[in-house]
Amino acid sequence: MKKMLQESELARDSRFVRSKIEDRIFDPRGPKIAQRNTGPAKMATDRPAAAERSRSLMHGIFVGEVQALEGAGRTCFDFDDTEAPFQLKLDMARQCWDEARHCEISLKLGDHMGTEIGEYTESTFLFAAACNPDPVLRLCGVNRALEGLAIDVFSTMKEFGNESGDPVLEFCEDWMLADEVTHVKMGSDWLRRLTEKDPERRERALEFQRTVDSIFNLGGFRGEDEENPIQLARRFRELAGFTDEENDSLAALARQSMEEARQMAEAASVALDAQSA
Amino acid sequence: MSGRITITPDPFTLIDYDVGEIAGIIEDAAALVGFPTDVEISLEVDEELFPPLTGHMADVVDGRAVLWISGANFEDTRRPRHFEPQQARTDLVEMLFRAKDRLSEDFADAPCDRELSRGERIAWDIYAIGRTERLGLPVRRPRERYDFRLQHGFTDVADAAFERCWDAERMTWAGIGEICKETGAANRGPSKVPVDLLRNK
Repeated sequence: MKKMLQESELARDSRFVRSKIEDRIFDPRGPKIAQRNTGPAKMATDRPAAAERSRSLMHGIFVGEVQALEGAGRTCFDFDDTEAPFQLKLDMARQCWDEARHCEISLKLGDHMGTEIGEYTESTFLFAAACNPDPVLRLCGVNRALEGLAIDVFSTMKEFGNESGDPVLEFCEDWMLADEVTHVKMGSDWLRRLTEKDPERRERALEFQRTVDSIFNLGGFRGEDEENPIQLARRFRELAGFTDEENDSLAALARQSMEEARQMAEAASVALDAQSA
Repeated sequence: MSGRITITPDPFTLIDYDVGEIAGIIEDAAALVGFPTDVEISLEVDEELFPPLTGHMADVVDGRAVLWISGANFEDTRRPRHFEPQQARTDLVEMLFRAKDRLSEDFADAPCDRELSRGERIAWDIYAIGRTERLGLPVRRPRERYDFRLQHGFTDVADAAFERCWDAERMTWAGIGEICKETGAANRGPSKVPVDLLRNK
């Protein structure tokens, strides 16, 4: 079996449609919408298109779980025992079990909300973070950055389940959230153990984590304001071993990312208006 | 395009939609619904809105059907900025059912769409979607049930009310009010977010 699989090589059946990043970047509607008030981004039943937004997010979570399963599975296989200790691979195997369960739960939540596999496109840049050839960097990118993001997403969805009085969503998200806290903790523990005598490698891994974190802030996707659909779950992050300093730094990164996105949207809008004048 | 149908914008500049094709679907949908042939229909498509920012409104103003819809409703979610005719047909049938309701005595007292509560609006939508399904158009019941539950609650009472709205051959504006009282949606405070927010540029 081939080692170090690229994201383009992921196996999918005909229901799945891969999204193209250029579709999003060059969509002329993006800058126009950025100038409009489309309501609070935070999930709530009285925001516009609440049901469709939650369905779309749920589908994104489902494909994210599929990729998380593939990523953890690859880590079991891609490295020999000198690169990644057997105990680390056991942890990854346990994570595969969790992610497979999350896939099934997310699929059933999709049924509950009335959506289907492949109804929305799949972006694979989550798996891209799981392609790093250094196991420590990969763990930092996946188990600390992405599983950290999963904590924020599940905590937000759990709150939405509570606010909308939907017990199915609330309980399912709570159970998955508990697993994610464990996954982050595994990432933090292995980072410490594998880089105990190599501070330079540890710093490279943390830098990689910051890069992945800033990509997944997605111009305001995550943060601590009403404008952010996904809320930073500080309490659960603390339980997973993130320090206050790390959480503050992530919040600052999210604010910076939102400001950059706002400036880019303004510039693009001016350019589009000039073009159509 | 027949003289009684007007569509804006004409042409579309941000998305790959065709005014002639949409007008043809409206003609078709109007015939399916039994929409009066002497009533003018104007449709505004907001081409700036993309998925998941969906929404639509159907009012009657000075005897004309005035429809508004987000461009996201007509979009193929697998192919950004491309038109999905089957979805457009289903949405237009639903909108024309509601516009036709407004022309009847049964809904004479109903306020315009921007003044409806979210509970009232979804109950009326479900009444229209149930009829759309019975015309043979593809709709997804679990999806609509979830939308209904978000405004009326995840309860047996709400689910029973959903079934009644879906199966109803005839319903009135007063009936919509009764449904909202029964599920408790009528007791929810006014929405903090205007229901027509997406329509406001």
